[in-house]
Amino acid sequence: MQRDVSSYAIAPSVKVKLLNAGFLSAADLCDLRPLQLSKEACISQEEAVEVLQAVRCEPGQERAAAGRLTALELLGREQELGTIVTFCSALDMALGGGMPVGKTTEVCGAPGVGKTQLCIQLSVDVQIPACFGGLGGKSLYIDTEGSFLVQRAVDLAQAAVEHCGLLAEDSEQQEALKVFTVETILSNLFLVRCHDYVELLAETYLLADFLAQHPGVRLVVIDSIAFSFRHDFEDLSQRTRLLNGLAQRLIQMATNHNVAVILTNQMTTKVWSGQSKLVPALGESWGHAATQRLILHWEGTHRLASLYKSPSQREATVPYQITGQGFRDAPPSDQPKASDDPSVRQSGSLSKRPRTEEDQSTRT
Amino acid sequence: MVVLRDGMCPGLSEELVVALRAADITTGTWVLINLFTLFNLALLAIRRVLLAQHTAFPVSGADLYEDLLSSTAILSTGNPSLDKLLDSGLYTGELTELAGGPGSGKTQVCFGVAVNISYQLKQSVIYVDSTGGLSASRLLQMLQAKSCNIEEQMEALQRIQVFPVFDIFSLLGCLHHFRCVGLQQASAGGGSVKAVIVDSVSAVISPILGGKQNEGMSMMMQVAGLLKTIAKDFNVAVLVTNTVTRDGNGQLKAGMGQTWSHVPRIRILLQRLERPGSTCSSVRTATLAKSSRQPCHLKEEFDLQCWGRSEEQLYGMSGKRKLENTEPS
Repeated sequence: MQRDVSSYAIAPSVKVKLLNAGFLSAADLCDLRPLQLSKEACISQEEAVEVLQAVRCEPGQERAAAGRLTALELLGREQELGTIVTFCSALDMALGGGMPVGKTTEVCGAPGVGKTQLCIQLSVDVQIPACFGGLGGKSLYIDTEGSFLVQRAVDLAQAAVEHCGLLAEDSEQQEALKVFTVETILSNLFLVRCHDYVELLAETYLLADFLAQHPGVRLVVIDSIAFSFRHDFEDLSQRTRLLNGLAQRLIQMATNHNVAVILTNQMTTKVWSGQSKLVPALGESWGHAATQRLILHWEGTHRLASLYKSPSQREATVPYQITGQGFRDAPPSDQPKASDDPSVRQSGSLSKRPRTEEDQSTRT
Repeated sequence: MVVLRDGMCPGLSEELVVALRAADITTGTWVLINLFTLFNLALLAIRRVLLAQHTAFPVSGADLYEDLLSSTAILSTGNPSLDKLLDSGLYTGELTELAGGPGSGKTQVCFGVAVNISYQLKQSVIYVDSTGGLSASRLLQMLQAKSCNIEEQMEALQRIQVFPVFDIFSLLGCLHHFRCVGLQQASAGGGSVKAVIVDSVSAVISPILGGKQNEGMSMMMQVAGLLKTIAKDFNVAVLVTNTVTRDGNGQLKAGMGQTWSHVPRIRILLQRLERPGSTCSSVRTATLAKSSRQPCHLKEEFDLQCWGRSEEQLYGMSGKRKLENTEPS
């Protein structure tokens, strides 16, 4: 069938030359040799070879056919991938077990509410061995603000190791504990420091190669994505385009390499019909970028986490606290009016995915 | 238009092709356009062949109407309020668009439609996912509310085919693939394909629109053309999702600009309800922004949880507005 030349991934200048020479559809090109094509269309021979490769082997169509799944197969795959526990059982229940692997989650919050703490906690939790109900994976931390503190990561790692030590019962778990130490946790945490948005974009382009070389990575954290994009940008529409392209690349990476991507965002004030509201930064179109959105906010002196957008979980607001050992449940005596419905308690049972790490995270 | 080649029709010899190329005529467009200056018999012959191959065939209105009556189907969305807005459901052969801000429920409506078609109507659905928002566990949850039989649930899940595409070229490749091999082969599931859901079109198109890129608009219209052709040729209902922007007066309108706004036949805007009491509500309003059958600006409220409930629960109370008693204390 005839597919237009302009719908292939070929450089625009080459496309213009092809169209001027009269090659409008793939059928016109398929019988030609590179030398003939370069003469007729006045393009260089390398370009002619590239064009013929793009048109002939039709990678888009094969990939489209190969990448398809039925929803049943997708269900099996989702259950295999698992989730990354946050050690706050209320939040884990609201999220359906933890941060989902294979999706992008955005964490927004005012300064000091605990976004970086949550990110460091997740970087440690992803490494919990499989016999304890974790994923046993490595993590990549892309830091744009310089807020990653190694000492804090050490504290959280020590707390996690102690916690697992208390839970270890059979010999397999004892064996796993020998490799699950603070040193190995820190050595499986890859840290990248990006200073501006160009470095951040470059890093996301290189991410595919990195993930191919390190197949054990299960978590990519970008803390924060707002910082580099919020200053030094004159052209806001260009910023929107760059952010949308970035979001698509991240979700593609999350799906193809089975990693959980966590993005941190800041908050900004929006003045709307005489009232001002605190909303996530980077604009309204960025709201569509992540699959799930978690907003952390203050309520007096209490910290609350609201699940604002999710394809599979109901909206809920849960309290949490940050202790010396990391991200934990809020003490029960202290809970503010939990503004979720009484029926949200059953939402944990509505999501029928088996939560193998649930028994571990209920003890905090 | 086709490139002129030797042997395409009688009289088109190699020397003629070379001579034409020297005069900068490489495609048949020139031959068709310049009607009055052709005295060369060979060129007239070429023109006859080109006309025979490329003219469109006129169809009478009566035949078209017969066709429509016999082949159009109306697919219910599973939610009575939405059906009322859509004049009883999604029509096959048409493109329907759902526009809304983040968290307004577009993906949930797409899930609901897919589950309804695959479980209730027992037909296949093709779901092109470009945001990674497809959650099979949520589909299972919706199916479990409709039936307790695991066999039926698994069968219904198997009828939903998922195609993950994350950039514009993959989307174009995927749609061309559907057009070439047909939807039956593409889906390979039981039952015929009755709906194609693309969630979302704006995620792959907005990075290439605007700025100094001049290809974005053309790719967007290629996607539009392909979707419409697929809807018409294969007799399926196409449902796409889009973002929203605010226009000069602060009113919501669908994203991707004026050009795209002419593409869908029906457009529905989804919004969260700003209710002062409850913050965690699943009620949404749907406004009919563009329709060829109903008056515009009709509004309905519906609950996103209606797909997650069984029939008795849904019809026991009025299916329209379902406000949970959200005050715990």
